[in-house]
Amino acid sequence: MSSSSYSSSPCAACKFLRRKCMPDCIFAPYFPPEEPQKFANVHKIFGASNVSKLLNEVPTFQREDAVNSLAYEAEARLKDPVYGCVGAISVLQRQVITLQRELDATNANLFRYAYNEMPPLRPPQPAPPSAAGQSSGFCYPYQWNDPSDEDNERSSGGNM
Amino acid sequence: MTLKGGATSACAACKYQRRKCIPECLLAPYFPADQTKVFQNAHKLFGVSNIVKILRSLDPSQHAEAMRSIKYQANVRDRFPVYGCLGVIRQLYYQIQMLEEEMHTVLTQLEMYRQHHHHQQQQQQHHQHQHQISSMADDVISQLELGMAPSNNALPLFNQATHQPYTMQNTYSSSDIDSPPKDNVENNSLWIQHLFFDTNNHGTGNNDSPIAIQSQLLVPNSEPLADTQHQVVQDYDEIHPFFDSIDDRQSYIDTKDAEDSSREKCSSEESLKETTQLMVGNVGSKDLKSAAACFSLTSVN
Repeated sequence: MSSSSYSSSPCAACKFLRRKCMPDCIFAPYFPPEEPQKFANVHKIFGASNVSKLLNEVPTFQREDAVNSLAYEAEARLKDPVYGCVGAISVLQRQVITLQRELDATNANLFRYAYNEMPPLRPPQPAPPSAAGQSSGFCYPYQWNDPSDEDNERSSGGNM
Repeated sequence: MTLKGGATSACAACKYQRRKCIPECLLAPYFPADQTKVFQNAHKLFGVSNIVKILRSLDPSQHAEAMRSIKYQANVRDRFPVYGCLGVIRQLYYQIQMLEEEMHTVLTQLEMYRQHHHHQQQQQQHHQHQHQISSMADDVISQLELGMAPSNNALPLFNQATHQPYTMQNTYSSSDIDSPPKDNVENNSLWIQHLFFDTNNHGTGNNDSPIAIQSQLLVPNSEPLADTQHQVVQDYDEIHPFFDSIDDRQSYIDTKDAEDSSREKCSSEESLKETTQLMVGNVGSKDLKSAAACFSLTSVN
């Protein structure tokens, strides 16, 4: 591992991969040497080559956001190998559903009270999470678990 | 290599890697041959080796759930190359924040209506009570002037009097809101306010307009009416002993002509006798006569 006198210290990616950090290193702007764990997590879950390909497909001004989102997902997957960041999505989605239901009930209560048709009702109890065809009760916000139809539409003859 | 004419076709993973899909293939249950795009997304983000590494670190019972989350994450990343699942999370956070703010607004509005309604109810009770007291006082005064004892059926008069405003309000609540009662001026003014605010609602769609005005017009008060009636009865009972303590015959006699007064004297004397006979137990006849003489203008003897 060598570094030129004009260049700064190698980035965290090149340090981890033990290679020369070139000036046009794609990782250098986003993986500073002061944050080694960031690249380590990303490399462990996604792999450096995959990250490099992903960054090349993204415009330069959006690469930092892409790296940060990958770092977040990698850290989440390390903490929860089964669900990763999708667990947080499921929790938030349930929260949205519950809040929406409570809001609808409160709005109905307000309407009834304003027109004095009936006395104000107690707020509904939060409904238990519905397992709607999912064995684990895990709530996925998007129907992408078995997108057979979507897969047929989007596949462009990717068979090798 | 893919199996040709075999009973089972290679999974999407083995097909992509162009290798024989063995029965023990870890990815075969989760990447069927017809879902090539899903596998491509997962392979593009994680890579086959990393997916296998994750599965091997987990219990076999958790493989299905883990693969579902991996496929989901990969598909989201394919749809949103920059933000991926983080974008979805941020969107949900924003949605939750908006819902909480809206909930807070609605609850605040509801509380405002409740307080306004409660205050209006209290005012109505107070007005009703004052009206009943004043009408009762007028009735008492008029009876005093006439020198008449209140009859036993005076209570229905109060009932009738207090029922009227209640009935009017009740009529207003049950009738169409566009046809206000014509007798009650106060209700008319409130109805005009209601129309004004209702127009604002329709015009601007603004939910902040105080439509609580409507609520205060539509409340029939049955319980306060009963309480007021009860209080009226109590007041009536308090007044009634007052009439017992005075001798209204005197005032009646003073206001009448002489002939009428003499007739009244006889009748009142007889009635007084009956009364004293009923009330007194051990008083002798002499005492009765002397007592009667005190009250009558003419001696009994």
